[in-house]
Amino acid sequence: MIHNYLFLSVILFCLGIVGVISRRNVFTVFMSIELMLNAANLAFIAFSRVHESMDGHVLAMMVMAVAAAEAALALAVVILLHKHKGKLDTNVFSLLKG
Amino acid sequence: MEQSATYLGLIPLFPLLGAVVIGLLHVFTCNRYKLSEKFYGLLACVGPVLSFVLALKVLFALKALPPESRYLTHNAFTWFSVGDLHINMGFLADPLSCLMMLFVTLIGTLIHVYSIGYMGGDKNYGKFFAYMNLFLGSMLVLVLGDGPVVMFVGWEGVGLCSYLLIGYYSEDRENVLAGNKAFIVNRIGDLGFVLGLAFLFWAIGAQGFDYISLKANVHMLEPAIALTVCLLLFVGATGKSAQIPLYVWLPDAMAGPTPVSALIHAATMVTAGVYMVARFSFLYAHVELAGTIIAWVGILTALLAAIFGMFQDDIKKILAYSTVSQLGYMFAGVGVAAYSAGIFHVFTHAFFKALLFLGAGSVIYALHHEQNIWKMGGLKTKMPKTYITMVIGALALAGCPPFSGFFSKDEILYSALATGHYGIWLIGVFVAGMTAYYTFRMIFVVFHGEPRDHHAYEHAQESPAVMTVPLIILAIGAVFAGFLNFPGVLTISHWLEPSLTEHHHSSAFLQIIAILASIAAFAVGLKIAYGKFGHGAQEPEFKGFADFAYHKFYVDEFYNTVIVQPYKAIGTAIWKTIEPNVTDSPVKGAARLYMVVGAAFKVLQVGYVRVYAIYMVVGLSLMSLFLSQSLN
Amino acid sequence: MLVNLLFYGFAVLAVLGAAGLIFFRHPMNGAMSFVVTLVCLAGLYALLSAKLIFALQLIVYAGAIMSLIVFIIMFLNIQPEDLPREETKIPYILGGLVLVAPVGLLLGKIVKTMPNFSVDLVGNNFGGVKPVGLVLFQEWLVPFEIVSILLLVSLVGAVVLAGKRGTGK
Repeated sequence: MIHNYLFLSVILFCLGIVGVISRRNVFTVFMSIELMLNAANLAFIAFSRVHESMDGHVLAMMVMAVAAAEAALALAVVILLHKHKGKLDTNVFSLLKG
Repeated sequence: MEQSATYLGLIPLFPLLGAVVIGLLHVFTCNRYKLSEKFYGLLACVGPVLSFVLALKVLFALKALPPESRYLTHNAFTWFSVGDLHINMGFLADPLSCLMMLFVTLIGTLIHVYSIGYMGGDKNYGKFFAYMNLFLGSMLVLVLGDGPVVMFVGWEGVGLCSYLLIGYYSEDRENVLAGNKAFIVNRIGDLGFVLGLAFLFWAIGAQGFDYISLKANVHMLEPAIALTVCLLLFVGATGKSAQIPLYVWLPDAMAGPTPVSALIHAATMVTAGVYMVARFSFLYAHVELAGTIIAWVGILTALLAAIFGMFQDDIKKILAYSTVSQLGYMFAGVGVAAYSAGIFHVFTHAFFKALLFLGAGSVIYALHHEQNIWKMGGLKTKMPKTYITMVIGALALAGCPPFSGFFSKDEILYSALATGHYGIWLIGVFVAGMTAYYTFRMIFVVFHGEPRDHHAYEHAQESPAVMTVPLIILAIGAVFAGFLNFPGVLTISHWLEPSLTEHHHSSAFLQIIAILASIAAFAVGLKIAYGKFGHGAQEPEFKGFADFAYHKFYVDEFYNTVIVQPYKAIGTAIWKTIEPNVTDSPVKGAARLYMVVGAAFKVLQVGYVRVYAIYMVVGLSLMSLFLSQSLN
Repeated sequence: MLVNLLFYGFAVLAVLGAAGLIFFRHPMNGAMSFVVTLVCLAGLYALLSAKLIFALQLIVYAGAIMSLIVFIIMFLNIQPEDLPREETKIPYILGGLVLVAPVGLLLGKIVKTMPNFSVDLVGNNFGGVKPVGLVLFQEWLVPFEIVSILLLVSLVGAVVLAGKRGTGK
């Protein structure tokens, strides 16, 4: 039944959010975002199976392509951050502090 | 059938335009390129002369009309219309306003000409004439207004010009304070005036708030309201026309230049109160109690001011108290419902009082601004024209027949007698005697005997023609103006009939008694003055009652202690205690509140992006909580 | 029967992998457990008859993206002292779970309202290369092109960003 897949997708998505908001390590945050994207992908595929249409597959492919692009850029930024501060802590950058 | 006359609007407009032009010229040239005094003087006299010519035109136009419809109106524009209140900037020329207009413009022109000489050498020459023209324009608005609101515009305008001109020599703090005093005391009177107008409007103003409509509707006023209105309007008159208790500004107003004292505080502005009562004669004639109160206040003011005048040593202050005293007579006249007698005294008083002031100015000018009479003396040989004209003015003021003052003062006293106000008549006769005394005390001390200050006396000389010619013209007026209302012939009273609501009494017996009493009072006053001062007297030491009167019964000090200082104390208390705590602290507290709240919210701005993401998730979960509730 | 077993196996492993991702301190460990999750997800796609996506997931996600991430982790030569000191990790995670629970519950509720659909395996007309390709290049052509431009942009961006000279420690 389709519900199982969707519940799994929800659980993975929530775990991804938890990872984004509670960890300070840059890589962990980034990979949690990827986890959220994957959960969304699973939901796409599940629904596409329900509707017997290929659109969900195509969208999942697009998501994957975007995730790849974003991964490249995010990792470039991480490298820059590491060059500037030598740390991998997101709390180091607090210039916005009011 | 009323006639419309658009040139009525020009009569106050010419001096007002003159004021604007001269004012602008002065402002833009006084620091760089000084224009010649002759130019300013000429420019300043254009307005008053044109207004006088137009006033004559109005006179002839009115004469051509039948007495029942002897008035011209002109509505310049609708000023404002709010609810039931429709006020036009309108002008009404009827016999009363025509008479007022004529002598205001004539004496105004003469005093402008005189000022060309008197103010010579003053560095703010242009400013002076701008203010004088402004004053004349406001006075004409006051006199020509077709309703109480337009009159009030002029009323305020003359008050303003009075303030500006009293404080004209503004380098001296005393003069500015005198100007303040005049304005503030006037304002107190104006409060009464405005309240009176408000009551009047509330009672009968819905059908139109101009004199003609009010006169038509005045029978609808309840007696209590009518009395209130009359008394409140009279409060305004006590302020403007210096009666008890608001007369205290007039002697201080002598700080201004002498032409100002002559024009404003003798001939024109101070008579506005009398004009107002006469204008509202349709109202006052119905409320006899108000008239009685006015008459008694007037005659008591006359008495009080005459007492003060007998002991003063500044020539202008003597004349100032004399003005207050004569104004008291005028109010006594209109109070006993002899409106034309009061207005007639206004008319003659304008001539001889302006003459006396200008003559005093001539003396002051000759002695280089010395004003203490005990430093003058023996000037009759050195300044003959001034001396003769001042003697004429003094005779008129003291009520010597056949000069003008005699006729007008006698008319008032006779009216008091004829209406049964014997107390008023007796006090009036007594004051007439005192008037003669203090007037001739002044004349004898200043012009007769030996000079008391030889240095000043050596340099004294007769004033230039530009100053003596107006004196002569005014002297002619002071002599002959009385014949315009000779008892029996009564042309002015007859002329004023369409404007006023009054009954004319005629009792030859009382007439004769009044005349004899007036002449007797004059003779007695003159004799006593001659006895004391005719042969060269020295400055006396005042003791007892004389000292008390010399210090004006300490009324100013009394007002200061009882009214002014408590007011200032209240103001200071409010400033020092209430304001910081009650009005400032909510404002400052509101600002601090924002700062505190802001500081509280500042805690949320940690600067970590992760925390901002947490805020987003918090919002998201709250939203989903709410949604899952509603999805039940 | 086998399908159910496979599904539950893959699901449990995916969740465990995700939990490991958010619990491990060293990012390398986290990356490894994430790979486990990705592989399980690929299996789930296969169970949903998405043959092409199953392959693409393994190739692109688990193969390319994760290898890129692992490469960068190793490139930066992370020592234990470089890692941020996260003493309060567990409480934060638990707090996060509590915070996110309403979202999950809402989504769960929405999911429950869906009617029953069967997800039996189907043949090549669904989820194979040809059907996906047909849809991709007929209806989704423009988005396809735009995504390729997006990839170009990210490529340029990555080159620019990584080429900057930084200030170092």
